[in-house]
Amino acid sequence: MRSEKILEQELLKALPKDRNSDPAGLHLANLVTSVSNKMVPVNSFSRIWILGSLQARVTFGYLAYWLRSRFSDAEEKQRLKSEAHLAAALQLFGTMGYLRGAVMKVGQMLANLPEVVPEEFAEVLSALHFEAPPMHYSLVREVFLDEFGREPEEMFASFEQQAFAAASLGQVHRARLQSGEEVAVKIQYPGIARTIKNDLRALRLLLQPLCLTRDWEDTIAKLVDIERMLLLETDYIKEADHCRQARTVFVDADQVVVPKVYDGYSSKRVLTCEYLLGCHINEYLQRAPEQAERDHFTTLLTVATYRLYYRLHWLPADPHPGNFIFMPDGRLGLIDFGCTLVMNDEEWCDSNAAIQAALDRDMPALNQAIASACRFNHPDEMAPDHLEVIRQGFCWFMEPWQHEGLFNFGDKAFFLRGIENVIEAARKRYTRSVPMTIWSNRFTFGGRAFCYKLQGRCEFRNIFLGESAWQHQKL
Amino acid sequence: MRISEQAKHENRIRILEKAVDIFTAKGFDATTTRDIALAAGLAAGTLFNYFPSKETLAMTMVTEALGQGREDFQRRRTGDEDLAEELFLFVASGLRRLRPLRPFLGPVLERSLSPFPRKSVCQEGEAARQEHLHAVQDIIAGHGFAEAPDYVAMTMYWSLYLGILAFWTNDISPNQEETQSLIDYATRMFVQIISGVVPGKGEAHAE
Repeated sequence: MRSEKILEQELLKALPKDRNSDPAGLHLANLVTSVSNKMVPVNSFSRIWILGSLQARVTFGYLAYWLRSRFSDAEEKQRLKSEAHLAAALQLFGTMGYLRGAVMKVGQMLANLPEVVPEEFAEVLSALHFEAPPMHYSLVREVFLDEFGREPEEMFASFEQQAFAAASLGQVHRARLQSGEEVAVKIQYPGIARTIKNDLRALRLLLQPLCLTRDWEDTIAKLVDIERMLLLETDYIKEADHCRQARTVFVDADQVVVPKVYDGYSSKRVLTCEYLLGCHINEYLQRAPEQAERDHFTTLLTVATYRLYYRLHWLPADPHPGNFIFMPDGRLGLIDFGCTLVMNDEEWCDSNAAIQAALDRDMPALNQAIASACRFNHPDEMAPDHLEVIRQGFCWFMEPWQHEGLFNFGDKAFFLRGIENVIEAARKRYTRSVPMTIWSNRFTFGGRAFCYKLQGRCEFRNIFLGESAWQHQKL
Repeated sequence: MRISEQAKHENRIRILEKAVDIFTAKGFDATTTRDIALAAGLAAGTLFNYFPSKETLAMTMVTEALGQGREDFQRRRTGDEDLAEELFLFVASGLRRLRPLRPFLGPVLERSLSPFPRKSVCQEGEAARQEHLHAVQDIIAGHGFAEAPDYVAMTMYWSLYLGILAFWTNDISPNQEETQSLIDYATRMFVQIISGVVPGKGEAHAE
């Protein structure tokens, strides 16, 4: 068919190419086409995704390219076997609902290594969130009846039937309480926990044939932790609790706003918070704000995150830009506490030990902290290059902490160095680490990508000194 | 002794109420008509004046609950729903009324609504099926279809609906939320089938 032919040509053009083994990209295109042409059963989460579309095939191709690169140095026989696994894995990937978008984004980015530009990296990070299918109003009503025994219109003075935003697990509606307050009501798609569990099972199967390597156990431990955090996010009572705690650490003068939770209108699946007037970063940047204003918001963001870190021992691990509201009066709103890693004492001590060692320029202590984070007992157990690459990454993370005066997060060279380090670590497969590093990396890169996009500067060191002083005062 | 219509009505209500309690406590299969009669303060044989069998009794509860569900649906619909949403609302409203009966409903629905050939068709079950399908046809007719869907489409609908009921009676998720997700998917799928539309762009969240 002519259209099919055109599709194939476009696919060939769009797919990444392997200079050595597959310079024309034909082999990859064949693989992707053969898998795409097979039907995969869709679930309610994947009904908005069509496996055969060109866009799907291209992103699919990127994932395939990356997966294949994981064993490109294997022998020919092993390689053929791996290709069969790869085809099966890709098909399995098609059955994933909730996590597929995120996995695809990662695949796309990894396939583009090492040519990723900072903008792309920031873009991928910000798009790296999960999305539940949209709910019509009748489904929303059923959730309300189950959670509160009442319809939305019985509970609120007004309730907008159309959602105004998508949330990671559902959607958000605007409403007004009987007492007049404007609120944002987040509603969870029913049964999402089951989909998350199914997806992670699929992800484990997907990665298994490719990861029969030294670090398979490490990968499994990380997947377990991802599942734990994602399931934690389905509990809105917990999130409401996080919101309440976060509110206690900010005062008006901080200009950081955490919305108030309305308990009578919140449950495990519904979370009602004060509506914060303002916009997200893209809309904010369209107004071409002055440098001083960008710096102001970068300062607020830094204060906000390190206040949560030092006072509550939290890592706000969801870098989604939709979680930050630029309010017209110059305040910064923080609106989502679902993906908050609450560090235990051990994690907190390890995290601080590494930071302190870097600040003190105490190399043996820093090496030991890095070895522990990479799940080695001692730095000597790590290959010298492994230690060096990870240490470089950590030193990059620490640069703003050691810089006197304004630190420019919009500096492309700085941001690029961070990405290059991640790329190098990924390419050399230096990925073994304690599960917490998934969240600390997401926190660091998410925050820095956001500030890079904002082209903002702040007195980072002063902020850190001010925020960390609190714990010394406490002691 | 002749008893008044009022007393008859009260007996009937009492039988139904007691039956729910006993079915819930003992399960449908382990409950006898004698258990129910005793609990309702009636002689064992008297119960048959009201309900010819345990199945009919249970199915009467189902029919009444579904009838209330239809009333709820009529009251709740706003008129702004598209077809899939309206069908969702209809099915969900019915299940909500059936919820108190859920603990013992599996064997009841299996016997009374089974689509397989049986020696004796449960009249109550057949009536419930007809009423349900008529309501569905009315809903479909309200969305611009020039003709009622044929028996193939309606058989598919009924199969989906029975599947939902079966899943729901087994659903251990909180508030049977996984069933809601299933209804959502099933109603969208059915609408796609009868509309002959394959979604090209898919559906999207509000921006």
